[in-house]
Amino acid sequence: MKIPVEDRLFSLVLALLATETGLLKAEILSTVRGYAERYDPHGGNANLERQFERDKDEVRELGIPLETVESPDRPGDNQALRYRIPKGQYDLPDEVRFTPDELALLALAGEVWRGASLSEDSRRALTKIRGLGIEPREPVIGYAPRLRVRDAAFEPLRSALDRRQRVRFAYLKPGETAPRERRVDPYAVVLHEGRWHLHGRDIDADGLRTFLLSRIVGKVDVVAGATFAPPAEGVQDRILAELDELRLSNVADLAVTAGSDAEVRLGKRAVLGDEDAGVIRLHYTDVAVFADELAAYGPEVRVLNPAGLRDAVRDRLRLVAEAHAQTTEGTR
Amino acid sequence: MTQRRAPLRAPDKLVFLLSLVPYLIEQQVVTVAEAAAHFGSTDDQIRDAVRLIAMSGLPGDTGTYQSNDLFDIDWDAFEEHDEIVIVHHVAIDEAPRLAAREAAALIAGLQYLAALPENADSSALASLMAKLRAGASATPSGLAIAEPAADSSLALIRQAITGGRQLEFDYLNARGEAGRRRSDPLRIVSQDADWYLQAYCHTREDVRNFRVDRMSELEVLDLPVGDHGDLDVPETLFQGSSSDLDVVVDVAAEALPLLADYLADSSTQEVDGRLRVTLRLAHVHGLKRLVAGLPGLVTVVAPADARQVVAEWAASGLQGYDDVSVP
Repeated sequence: MKIPVEDRLFSLVLALLATETGLLKAEILSTVRGYAERYDPHGGNANLERQFERDKDEVRELGIPLETVESPDRPGDNQALRYRIPKGQYDLPDEVRFTPDELALLALAGEVWRGASLSEDSRRALTKIRGLGIEPREPVIGYAPRLRVRDAAFEPLRSALDRRQRVRFAYLKPGETAPRERRVDPYAVVLHEGRWHLHGRDIDADGLRTFLLSRIVGKVDVVAGATFAPPAEGVQDRILAELDELRLSNVADLAVTAGSDAEVRLGKRAVLGDEDAGVIRLHYTDVAVFADELAAYGPEVRVLNPAGLRDAVRDRLRLVAEAHAQTTEGTR
Repeated sequence: MTQRRAPLRAPDKLVFLLSLVPYLIEQQVVTVAEAAAHFGSTDDQIRDAVRLIAMSGLPGDTGTYQSNDLFDIDWDAFEEHDEIVIVHHVAIDEAPRLAAREAAALIAGLQYLAALPENADSSALASLMAKLRAGASATPSGLAIAEPAADSSLALIRQAITGGRQLEFDYLNARGEAGRRRSDPLRIVSQDADWYLQAYCHTREDVRNFRVDRMSELEVLDLPVGDHGDLDVPETLFQGSSSDLDVVVDVAAEALPLLADYLADSSTQEVDGRLRVTLRLAHVHGLKRLVAGLPGLVTVVAPADARQVVAEWAASGLQGYDDVSVP
């Protein structure tokens, strides 16, 4: 009978947790359930060995610390390598215990992600945490928070971030007419003002750069063999703080039509407002992104300053007007 | 509310097995139904997992699985009373650590929830995130979400929901019509940066979605909400209806995901390097805002009056800038 994959993986984890000194690959393949049934003592176990390599990766992806130990007598000899999972590094540490309130909040946090690897990862984390046996407070009712990731570049970047692999992609910088190839060591992927940003080292520019995922054109490829040292801890928080600083340094004054959608919605984000004059002041991070948003309001909003934003909105409105005017022009 | 469950893949099943064991040991005696409720799984998933665990163990010194090296359960209790009692366990007794990426996903989810009024105490959230970091087998990868701007209306809405009180507010709909609405608030739904209230609207006598940023002058009334247990509250925010408008547009391929909520069907056709798709919207007022907000990426093809509305919307916006001539 064929042993199911999870049965083989479970048996492998149990066997490697129970050993102090580690098991040789030959010992694993010849005794652990799921491998042993297919093991040929006379050799020719290449398929089984490849299976074991894939299983090892799969187990490590789940955060299980599967270690390789070299033989002190025969360093460099692959056949003498031993494998084990140190129990101290496997168990969730004692200080990591959650209150029923925290569990309810974590369950809601796990609900946030839609699609993408993030929902799968959240689900696995919650299953592990439920293994602690703490009963959550009744679920937080009345909320259905949802966050989608719509940038195609997100998944490959997150995976590269995790594995610390260099990536290559074409990037269209605003103001440039054609995309240019960038090679980047990804340090952080952050969501700021509703947009995903990649922060990392631009190899050709030899400096730290931040990119908008929405301006990445086409595929993100991993540069084979190029890995990098882990970035400073908390780099993601630092870059968020930088983006926020940038946002606060950009100020726009807008005239909004009384009673309009623009007045109600943009007004909520205003840092200053003169209701009589119908003028509000807002901060923004990126001219192009903010101009897109303002263009949607059509005649309900008019940019007073800065000039760059004013021009950007005007250009966008002209683009939309021209694209839609052509066929009806003659009938006017 | 029932949720559709995707079939579990082998790594998910492994995580489930490794988490179920310490739970069962800790509980000592637990029914299949209780365990299923705890893990949010089906009864059968629990039974299958228990059978597998009960036959698993270590190859032992002899390389053969001997009974002392195997898990064992009280089979009578299991077969006859649907109760799980682990009487012998090997190798594991604690829940496994989180993978770095698993911890990162939950931390980012919590950061998104920072906007909720419940989480005004950010130190509680910070300590929870610190626990997740401590529980990860490696430093969680650099994923982070800036706290979305919290709309002060959320706290009042929340107060009405938890207190079972009616909520009154001024609302400006997408057509530009303003009015006072009285509602029985049901739940707060968000989609990315946008927050909505799903409520039974007394004015419309039906369930409606209200954009929180279009609500103002909120007041929690002293009136209790009605019983809406029989109401069908839609899971998705955007519901098609027979009065909807179908619009054919050409869209740049990279912008297609941004229109996903509005696609009438899955058919696309390539026209001059762009994708021709049909959108379904409630009315042209939504369309003109959508298209003007994606300048250069989406062009309305038909019907002609929808195209005209978009053209006029953009042209009248352009008129605000008197230094240019309108095309």
